[in-house]
Amino acid sequence: MEKVCVLGAGSTKYGKLADSIADIATQASVSAIETAGIDPKEIKASYISNVFGVADKQVHLGPVLMSNLGISDKPSLSIESACGSGSVAFREAYANVAAGFYDCLVVTGVEKVTHTGTEWTTTYFAYCSDFFYEGQAGASFPGLFASMARAYLTEFDATEEDFAKVAVKNHENGLLNPKAHLQKKITVDDVLNSAVVASPLKLYDCCPFSDGASSVILCSEKFAKEHGNDYVEVIGSGRGGSPAALQGREHMTTIPSTKIAAQAAYDMAGITAKDIDFAEIHDCFTIAEIVDTEDLGFFEKGKGVQAVREDRTKLNSDISINPSGGLKSKGHPIGATGVGQVAEVYDQLTGKAGARTVKDAKLGLTHNFGATGASCAVHVFQSV
Amino acid sequence: MSVKELLIENAKQGKVLTHKCTSCGHLHLSTVYYCEKCGSKEFENEILEGTGTIATYTIITVAPAGFEKYTPYAFVVLHLDNSDLRISGFMANIAVPEDLPVGTKAKITDFDEHRGIIVEKQ
Repeated sequence: MEKVCVLGAGSTKYGKLADSIADIATQASVSAIETAGIDPKEIKASYISNVFGVADKQVHLGPVLMSNLGISDKPSLSIESACGSGSVAFREAYANVAAGFYDCLVVTGVEKVTHTGTEWTTTYFAYCSDFFYEGQAGASFPGLFASMARAYLTEFDATEEDFAKVAVKNHENGLLNPKAHLQKKITVDDVLNSAVVASPLKLYDCCPFSDGASSVILCSEKFAKEHGNDYVEVIGSGRGGSPAALQGREHMTTIPSTKIAAQAAYDMAGITAKDIDFAEIHDCFTIAEIVDTEDLGFFEKGKGVQAVREDRTKLNSDISINPSGGLKSKGHPIGATGVGQVAEVYDQLTGKAGARTVKDAKLGLTHNFGATGASCAVHVFQSV
Repeated sequence: MSVKELLIENAKQGKVLTHKCTSCGHLHLSTVYYCEKCGSKEFENEILEGTGTIATYTIITVAPAGFEKYTPYAFVVLHLDNSDLRISGFMANIAVPEDLPVGTKAKITDFDEHRGIIVEKQ
């Protein structure tokens, strides 16, 4: 297998954007190409991650992007895996470079939904559930994670204040990220007093609906060395699955796919969870970050909440969790999120993360899942 | 009648159509085509009473389209009696967590094309 590297990354600001889905996908891709210092004609193919292109009247985005980049003769592939689409597109691109099919690819994730309003997004996002059992019975995504939160509160020594602390921490990090959607300092009381969306989760326990695009240039080590720009190496890649509906899981306070994907990524990298310096993880809701940190092996089951209480996941503490602000503050343009996590790791490991830099970081991890973790991908990156 | 239609017809009678693996005996919801334990695709129908306890739930106040008129309502995961199976459903008239502690006894009472499997407290 070829060693695979990330040679460049770029993102639009996340938030409510005016430009079209094709425009923002192109802007992020151009930014990644310029950071990588390559000629677009060196790109051999593109992997596009997007879920609701139909909301902005544009599916089959790949050829539009490639045409905009002046390389319309190059192939593209669009990938949908709900909120985990970005990491799956990244994984497919990784596998193709590792196998030697291509030496340089662009992976671009994008979403444009805020113009459709809260009801449309709540309704359509619910189509990512096991619809017959969940969406059809009135489950929203906040509702499904709220069901996990209720199970966690029942099973472990945890409170809604503990969940709120995750939001406060991620907003602190997001304040240091100029591209974050919600750049606003909040308090535990702000979270607890915000409107209930799906009990026990309140508005500030939930990530926002965001527009945005992120893009990375993925290449072989040989290609990266020839180009001379900063790069990071992908040293672990794992994927996993879980029962599509929560009802299929014996324990609703854990996401099986995360454990499977993480173990595969750690095994490939020859490391354990303890070696990771920082992680960009799927905190679509505050409860998700707590569950993720346990499933990824950073903390024992039921102890993730204690780590939050003791500030052990803040920037430059025991393990920096979501230095970018995470989905909670940076925002969650669902097709872009998994690619944006890789962009953050690239920035961190190449000294481009500014005020939110994780000090002396060598190993970074990304964790991104679809729906309630029915699909998941984990990647591990090493500075060069 | 398709398996899905049979499942719905049983739910309307307050029952759950399940698939029992004829090789290893593992019980599944009837929408499964291969046994998750042994891989066999030979099943016999087993009809369970739709009674159980609330495994977890949420009370939804910001609803998907079509559910606004029911808010607040609960989305529940019901652990069926005498089995390891759980099934999701809609429960009306739940406003605060005190209305529905985890472990509350509940039962399937109907299937509605707009709200799926309907669950009520016993």
